[in-house]
Amino acid sequence: MIKINNLDFAYKNTQVFKNISLEFKKGNIYGLLGENGVGKTTLLKLVCGLQQPQYGCVTVDGYTPSLRQPDFLQNVYFLPEEVITEDTTPEKFIQKIGVFYPRYDFGLFNKLMKELEVDLSKKFNELSHGQKKKALLACAMSLQTDYLFLDEPTNGLDIPSKALFRKVISQYCSDETTVIISTHQVKDVENLIDPIVILDRDDVLMNASFAEITDKIYFEYGPERLQDAYYTEMLPGGYINVLPNTEHLESNVNIEALFNAVMKNKETIKNLMK
Amino acid sequence: MNNKFNLERFGKVLKHDGLNFFPNFILTLAILWAIPVVIYLFTSLMPTDGTDNVYSAFSRISVIDMLTKIVLILAPARLYKYCNDSRKGIGYAMLPASTLEKFLSMVIFCVIVAPIVYVAGALAIDSILALFNGPYEGFAISNYFNEYAQIDYNITAHGMTGVFYDTLPLVVTNMSPAFMTILSYLGILMISSIFMFGNMVFKKRKTGKMIGILILLSIIFMIIFINFIANNEALLNYLSQINEDNVSEFIERFICIWMNVTLYTEIIVSAVMLWGTYRKIKTQKY
Repeated sequence: MIKINNLDFAYKNTQVFKNISLEFKKGNIYGLLGENGVGKTTLLKLVCGLQQPQYGCVTVDGYTPSLRQPDFLQNVYFLPEEVITEDTTPEKFIQKIGVFYPRYDFGLFNKLMKELEVDLSKKFNELSHGQKKKALLACAMSLQTDYLFLDEPTNGLDIPSKALFRKVISQYCSDETTVIISTHQVKDVENLIDPIVILDRDDVLMNASFAEITDKIYFEYGPERLQDAYYTEMLPGGYINVLPNTEHLESNVNIEALFNAVMKNKETIKNLMK
Repeated sequence: MNNKFNLERFGKVLKHDGLNFFPNFILTLAILWAIPVVIYLFTSLMPTDGTDNVYSAFSRISVIDMLTKIVLILAPARLYKYCNDSRKGIGYAMLPASTLEKFLSMVIFCVIVAPIVYVAGALAIDSILALFNGPYEGFAISNYFNEYAQIDYNITAHGMTGVFYDTLPLVVTNMSPAFMTILSYLGILMISSIFMFGNMVFKKRKTGKMIGILILLSIIFMIIFINFIANNEALLNYLSQINEDNVSEFIERFICIWMNVTLYTEIIVSAVMLWGTYRKIKTQKY
């Protein structure tokens, strides 16, 4: 489990987090959402030890990430947004780093490379941006770490690859694996992520599962715009209204509408979800 | 598993860094290996005024030694270029090994492996070139590990035989072979540790910036040293009393002081730079 308590973090004069507390429970695929610059990547860097909190503490299964102890690092993999690769083939790359990870499975790597339709014989430099991302995803997943942090993993992927990405994550992540996907391409990770964490500047607006969300918020698809809705958006054939679920009705979460509703009613929804 | 040091994991780090060694460093090594070849070709083709062009083994050893120092200077920035880069260094930081293991591996590759690989290659190239009927006289490899032969050669080459004639036995007595060897290895460690630290501190133009800082520090120390001598009457008095009769004693004293200063400087600078490098690996933010 990842525990963040009273975390303060700033880059020189820019405050990113102020006294935030948050938990990520084991075995879930979290969607980390937020506007540009709210600190999604910074949060991932803090939980994998690439940054250090200025105040407060971050622990992952009892380990302090910033100490970068081998026992912690062998259970964590961070795939950054920007594709940085070596002048080698994905196969050689994974063989080089795989030995450090106790559950690394080369067979799984080959299987994932085939499923993601990446050419095994080519060097990283010879692959397109999307192919590189898929190759690195195969590498990351074949290490079978307890925690997998993906920063904007679908950026640069074409439509079929996005579907493959969702398939691979849902199919090959074990029940013990905690995945945190930072993204603002919410459509790409729809039906994949649950729970959702929505970050705001200096604050966490929401950390809730779909069940908790639909228990308190109702997503209504109808022909008209409702006045008491947190958020309304015109869709082909009608409107989607995000409303307080006072009558405990069942509905399906529309992540994009939820995100916009939260952004428009920060304090109201934050208090509602407490 | 031990989070400070584990031999099996350290072996994996060595293998990991070893696999990166040639891809990252081969071009630098090739250029530095080519320099003696260029000198050979230049010496062979140079017009002579009737005398033979002779390029002795000891001269070539001096060139190899100088180029080895360049290898030591360049190795950290070539081998661990991106380890403090906020984007490209993430892989290095996240590699499941302890700071100590990563640090020791860095030291082994920069201080030991890089110069050994260069010297081995350079001596092999020298031996091949010496087989031809060219300007090369003797094999560098046969004298490379004979430090005394090298010292003798250097004294003669610099026209200091007369000066050292009386003092050399005293110098040799004071400076035992073990001492000279330690001094020479510490020198290698000092150069390497300075540039390893520079590699961790600076993000771009790492070697150039470190050389610039060293030049600046040298100038500052020189000014302080000159001021110290100029304002020290006892020392000036002593220097003014040097004549033909006591010059040998002066040289002997000077060398002893110089060697001791060098020894302590090398130990202190190496320790500080290595500690700084370790701290930077441990606390680097990305």
